[in-house]
Amino acid sequence: MTSTTTGKSELTAEFVNPIISSTISVFEMMLGCTPKRTGLSLKADHLPEHELSAVIGISGKAAGTLVLSLSKSVGIGILDRLVGIATDEINDEVCDAVCELANMIAGSAKAQLEHLEASISIPNIITGKGHTVHYPSNVVPICIAFDSEIGTFTIEAGFSDR
Amino acid sequence: MKVLLVDDSGTMRTIQKRCLSKLGIEDVTEAEDGVQALELFQGGTFDIVLSDWNMPNMDGLQLLKEIRQRNKDIPVIMITTEAERARVVTAIQAGVSDYLVKPFTPDSLKSKLERWVTSNA
Repeated sequence: MTSTTTGKSELTAEFVNPIISSTISVFEMMLGCTPKRTGLSLKADHLPEHELSAVIGISGKAAGTLVLSLSKSVGIGILDRLVGIATDEINDEVCDAVCELANMIAGSAKAQLEHLEASISIPNIITGKGHTVHYPSNVVPICIAFDSEIGTFTIEAGFSDR
Repeated sequence: MKVLLVDDSGTMRTIQKRCLSKLGIEDVTEAEDGVQALELFQGGTFDIVLSDWNMPNMDGLQLLKEIRQRNKDIPVIMITTEAERARVVTAIQAGVSDYLVKPFTPDSLKSKLERWVTSNA
């Protein structure tokens, strides 16, 4: 669920353009499709938009969380596009492929913010409707929505100063 | 040509193995982290090491340092999301032979691997 609340975090906002360009670049290079950004909003809660979340922690001069949130069908599409493996369920291979994609997006975004001297964690997968993700306290996460040939997905992120 | 391929992502290992196969390289030993890779490295003979950086248990940078203590000549290529200049410099100082940043196109991976596997064949 998203909101148009006007609260803001300058540090989180600094990540918006690097996240967008990194997401487009990763999808183009690794999946052969160009996602289109369809929305940018502030989140009113910590519930990811979709049922499958790849969660990456970021530490350094900025600390926070980046989430690649997508549906089961998009996760399956990512595995298919990356390695040509077809499946109809969320299995370890789908989770691994989604994690790796999230890892590349986070890595590429942080490389554009070198002054933050950030490090990224190993990605984790959370599944199931209604799951929550933790962000630093007092941070309002952003939600960047995309549409692509394999379906819709969001990148959600929130950061605070260290 | 014997390749030690190190990445905690099975997806990435599959992508790289397919690329190596297209170059005629089928003798590929896989490891999921630096600890497993170091054990394999010490127990076997390899011509080239391809390694991720961010992995559990032992990361690729530490693996590189461990390998260099044992073998100064074997090509070690980092294939990683770590793209910042400072990280690349750190890897070079630790003795990395080459560096490929993820994400990559199939062609960029192929040309990078081709350069090393053909020159060391």
